[in-house]
Amino acid sequence: MHVAFFVPCYVDQLKPQVGLAALEVLRSVGVEPAFPEDQTCCGQPFLTAGEQDHARDLGRHFTRVFDEFDCIVTPSGSCAATLRGHLERFVPGSAGKRLAQNTFEFCEFLVARDLEPLPLSPFPHRVGLHASCHALRELRLGTPSETREPPRVDPAQALLARIPELEFVDLARRDECCGFGGLFSIEEEAVSCRMGLDRLEDHLRGGAEILTSTDVSCLLQLEGLARKREMPLRMMHVAEILAASLSGSSLAGRSPDGPR
Amino acid sequence: MGHVSRARQFVSDEARTKWHDEALWSIRMNRDRAADLVPDWERLRTEAASIKRNTLSRLPELWRQFEKEATRAGAVVHWARDADEHNRIVAGLLAERGVERVVKSKSMLTEECGLNPVLEKLGIEVVDTDLGERIVQLRHEPPSHIVMPAIHLRREEVGALFAREMGSPPDLDDPDELTAVARRDLRERFLSAQAGLTGVNFAVADSGSLVVVTNEGNADLGTALPRLHIASVGLEKIIPQQADLAVFLRLLARSATGQPISAYTSHFRGPRAAEVEPPNAKGEAESRPPELHIVVVDNGRSRLLAEPAFREALACIRCGACLNTCPVYRRSGGHSYGATIPGPIGSVLEPSRDPARHAELPHACSLCGSCSDVCPVKIPLHHQLLTWRARLAEAGHHSKRRRIAFALVGRLCLRPRTYRRLTRWGRRIARALPASWLTRLAAPWTRERALPEIPAMSFRELYRLRHDVPDVASAEDPR
Amino acid sequence: MSGSRDAIFARLEAARPPASAPPARMPAPAMPADPEAILRARLEFAGGRLQRASRENWPREIEWPIELARVTHLYSACSDDPVGPDRGGATLPARGVAENPHRVHDLAPLEICVLRGQFAVVENGAVWQVPATPLERAAAVLAEHLIVLVDEQALVATLHQAYERIDLRDLRFGWFLCGPSKTADIEQALVLGAHGPRTMSLVLTRD
Repeated sequence: MHVAFFVPCYVDQLKPQVGLAALEVLRSVGVEPAFPEDQTCCGQPFLTAGEQDHARDLGRHFTRVFDEFDCIVTPSGSCAATLRGHLERFVPGSAGKRLAQNTFEFCEFLVARDLEPLPLSPFPHRVGLHASCHALRELRLGTPSETREPPRVDPAQALLARIPELEFVDLARRDECCGFGGLFSIEEEAVSCRMGLDRLEDHLRGGAEILTSTDVSCLLQLEGLARKREMPLRMMHVAEILAASLSGSSLAGRSPDGPR
Repeated sequence: MGHVSRARQFVSDEARTKWHDEALWSIRMNRDRAADLVPDWERLRTEAASIKRNTLSRLPELWRQFEKEATRAGAVVHWARDADEHNRIVAGLLAERGVERVVKSKSMLTEECGLNPVLEKLGIEVVDTDLGERIVQLRHEPPSHIVMPAIHLRREEVGALFAREMGSPPDLDDPDELTAVARRDLRERFLSAQAGLTGVNFAVADSGSLVVVTNEGNADLGTALPRLHIASVGLEKIIPQQADLAVFLRLLARSATGQPISAYTSHFRGPRAAEVEPPNAKGEAESRPPELHIVVVDNGRSRLLAEPAFREALACIRCGACLNTCPVYRRSGGHSYGATIPGPIGSVLEPSRDPARHAELPHACSLCGSCSDVCPVKIPLHHQLLTWRARLAEAGHHSKRRRIAFALVGRLCLRPRTYRRLTRWGRRIARALPASWLTRLAAPWTRERALPEIPAMSFRELYRLRHDVPDVASAEDPR
Repeated sequence: MSGSRDAIFARLEAARPPASAPPARMPAPAMPADPEAILRARLEFAGGRLQRASRENWPREIEWPIELARVTHLYSACSDDPVGPDRGGATLPARGVAENPHRVHDLAPLEICVLRGQFAVVENGAVWQVPATPLERAAAVLAEHLIVLVDEQALVATLHQAYERIDLRDLRFGWFLCGPSKTADIEQALVLGAHGPRTMSLVLTRD
């Protein structure tokens, strides 16, 4: 199976270590995705801004770049949701539909294919799992607290639950939005920050040391707020936690810029 | 002053925002608990959504059936194309009968039409009898929530208001006692009213009946006492048959307040019966025979019906669940929206009414999607808000600067080589700049948030290093 | 006026969405194992109270919100037993303003209103009631305290079954009543007795 890796633009430019960690984890289960260099953006910021024409163009570009692949994996619930939800209408015909149906969020991909990253060393930390709205409500990776649908596995939780000594914190509101919402974080800055701070306080009250999510966009929002207030929280993408556990390295040795 | 600035103002009062947010979240929790007790909750939502979808494709025949049945029962059915016509009809009915005192139970439709000021200008006293509505009426402000109009107010504020308007002791702030004050005042209004105005939760086509739902019983006091009942109903409120009421009523109160059913679910068909009175000295009956006038209102609903992207919003049963779950509404309050109906459903409906004025509303949303999940009739609210953004951009309601910025970045993303080069230089420059410059450049992100560390190398550069990928610099960027 | 009607129908016709399939109907939930316990719980959640009594002696068996001897104004739907003397249901005459009211407004001082309900709905604690006269309806919302008598056999599981027993075309007015009048409009604090009755009892009567 010809698998490709799609890196979210903000991971590419701001948190490359997340992309590298994801590749490490995939490698550990025997998946060596290709990385087509001409990829740029999935189009989500344009879509959410109402700039459909640009989103469409980017959807077409994405389809050209990834057309030869059977399966695309991306460490981002929101990119996967955008592609799965909109590629078909942006790129009429079988190409768009095929790629849309075969684009997966990173945790989703591992769990759906029963790929178990092993062996896992202890990760003795209290971890707050932040539910990304796109992963949860668009991709239905988990069960939103407001629905009464039959429960669905949350792949991120399932993967982290296998790590020895990792402790999940309890949250008062387990799936409230972090307030990023793309441009929303800038345009409705006051409300966005209030939402993010409320999430952070919930995690701190639960005793979290590390805050994790499938989406770096959420983590950038929460990290920005936390660091400005010097809150004792460290943000790590699920892939980074898995990679740390796989390599058995302690967190102390990792620099924020990622491994050299 | 749009949502952005009003919301900023609201949020600046941290304690009040927290209180408002917690109050509404607890109602969302009540809704969750009520849903837990209905084993087939999701199937019920699906059934409700499909009844509404089917109904929307049959409106003309359903309204004809309703009109026939309601008329047969003795009601008079009026038709209003828009808000002004609605107001003229209601004012006309009242004026013809010399009505000077009216009591009104909750009707977001009359709010939408701006009825009260029109009647007041004609010298007619209109008293909103729902306690929350009465409170905001006395404060001369609009309701901030479609089910709980005064949810933005603290008890001390209500106490101060009642002291001013009803002469209660100034330091009274106990809700029980304040409600008792309102009870006494409103009792007098009910007893002296000459007409009762109500909204309508459901108009039932097969019997020509109206269903009105309250917890206070104010719609009943308002229609059991006066002899004139005027009911305002939107075109979208009709349902085909009485059996459908079970589906919607099982969802409505649970979604709105977490109750299995509200205290009063009243079914009207035709005017109320007249009590037998002794004739006066001339041998005539003292009062006019009771009347029921039903005013059916379009006011933009047929326009929304014509829109495939938005017509599902007409299924709304005005439960308010989307407001309660919306993290933005909870932290900005209903008044921030500057619209009759705030929150997610308001942000879908209002731009249809006035795109220029409400162009900001679909952006007052982080697209979390919780609203769509709680909606009892499964309106895909957050998807509709997304569609609105595209529609408003195309119609020229987004700033030129914004559109140009997106156009530039969009074009850049179609040129991978240029993208790689520009982002590499962008990062280099950012890393070289003094922190204070960067902070200023990156405002408004940096007002409350630290900037992430800008890495020396991007993912793709690191990938290229590790995988010895030759630089494909010779290839041209695809068009 | 017919101009507006025609205009609206024309707009509706022009905007008519494509036909959609008739809705799939869910089967109605069955009666639960312990209906009275659930009915009681739902009614209490709504601020009401469930009581039990015999048909022939209920006025002496129930707990009254005010001591009956001290009640001046009482509306009673049981002034005479509608089922006939051989059924032996207890009667309770009206008192005070309810003895010979002319206008609905005369009933304003009512302390207690006693009604007959047709059946109760287990899943939500409500009772379906059809006022016999406009005076009865006004009495129900003006009184300080409301009591509704329902035959203990007359229980339905949910609103689905309820609407199968009702025909709205046969009525001018009917309502589901659940608990007393209430509001939470001031800081979400629940207050019983907003404009209507402060207390409500549903009395299940047995033969």
